[in-house]
Amino acid sequence: MKRFLPFLIILAVLAVAVGAGWFLKSRSSQPTPLVADVPGASPATPSSTPGSNAPVTTKAREPGADPPHSIGPTDAPVTLEEFGDFQCPPCGQLHPELKQIIRAYGSRVRLVYREFPLPAHQHALAAARAAEAAAMQGKFWEMHGLIFETQHSWNEAFDVRPIFEEYARRIGLDVAKFEADITGTRVSNRIFLDQKRGRELGVQGTPTLFLNGREVPFDSLPAQKLRVLINAELARAGG
Amino acid sequence: MEIPPSPQSSPAVRGWKLAVALLSLIGLADSIYLTVQHITGETVRCTIVSGCSEVLSSPYATVGGVPLALLGAVAYFTVFSLATLAAFEYQFVTRLLAIVVGLMFLTTLWLLYLQAFVIGQFCQYCLLSAAITIIITLITLLILRKSVVSSS
Repeated sequence: MKRFLPFLIILAVLAVAVGAGWFLKSRSSQPTPLVADVPGASPATPSSTPGSNAPVTTKAREPGADPPHSIGPTDAPVTLEEFGDFQCPPCGQLHPELKQIIRAYGSRVRLVYREFPLPAHQHALAAARAAEAAAMQGKFWEMHGLIFETQHSWNEAFDVRPIFEEYARRIGLDVAKFEADITGTRVSNRIFLDQKRGRELGVQGTPTLFLNGREVPFDSLPAQKLRVLINAELARAGG
Repeated sequence: MEIPPSPQSSPAVRGWKLAVALLSLIGLADSIYLTVQHITGETVRCTIVSGCSEVLSSPYATVGGVPLALLGAVAYFTVFSLATLAAFEYQFVTRLLAIVVGLMFLTTLWLLYLQAFVIGQFCQYCLLSAAITIIITLITLLILRKSVVSSS
């Protein structure tokens, strides 16, 4: 018997390993439900649903940069608040997914973008500054889209400044003003305030997405899973 | 089938072999997690301290289309099997275990080099795997040394 014991152990470990892999894989195909923001609050009690005119309802005292960069009406029943880093690959992957969501839901969803450049990325801060400087001329979302969509081309560049200046030209910005703003204190301040808000909300990495003030689990970020969560929230708000 | 008669290893050596088996289980769990992340297309979130998503989305994360994490899982499972057999007095596999561990150690050095000098980011899951492989290598050297001493 003892002779076969090691083989039995090995087979058992193989079965557990394959089973665990299978379980993890199948679990990742369904969205994880959001954790209720109020302890004990169940989805059946709409009292925990944030008021419809509250732009971003989290209990954070830090408001972040004001006004935030947003798409969609302030009274939309669903607000998505993203903390993003322009150089982070999964943020780049989330960008088209969110675009798809905005297109599909129209005025029922409001998207807020918060700057959360991580120190691990050498160009993340420069990219955030470029987007904020474009915002000073009313073109935040144009720059935001361009930077995310071209992430692979500037990601490993030695100096990203000329690249972002070229983008500024491309979207029709006053480049002299853009260059002045990019190093200005208003831009620094906005990034600082967004990061402060992120830290208070416990943001540990990017992308972190809050749906009406509750953090969306990272594995629920792909659009088809996010839709399930948004639909549930819309049903709650409408019910 | 009769097992070739082999000298009984000392309880200490047996303990070290079991330690290798247990460590390889941690490595196995780590690589299964990374393999599933890779297959489902969900890269790991960028965090304040780590560059996991950069490492895992780099071209070095696959070898000929096969996720490196899957190869890691196979390697750790092999180490677990060999170490378990060796601990149960199938002495002849000890040398095979040493060869597999040696190859894994060299791979680990290469992957650490890639993270440090080519990608420029470190991933904590990969570092955990590197640490486990290095410890397993040291224990395997110890086992080899003790076996040589006891057989001479």
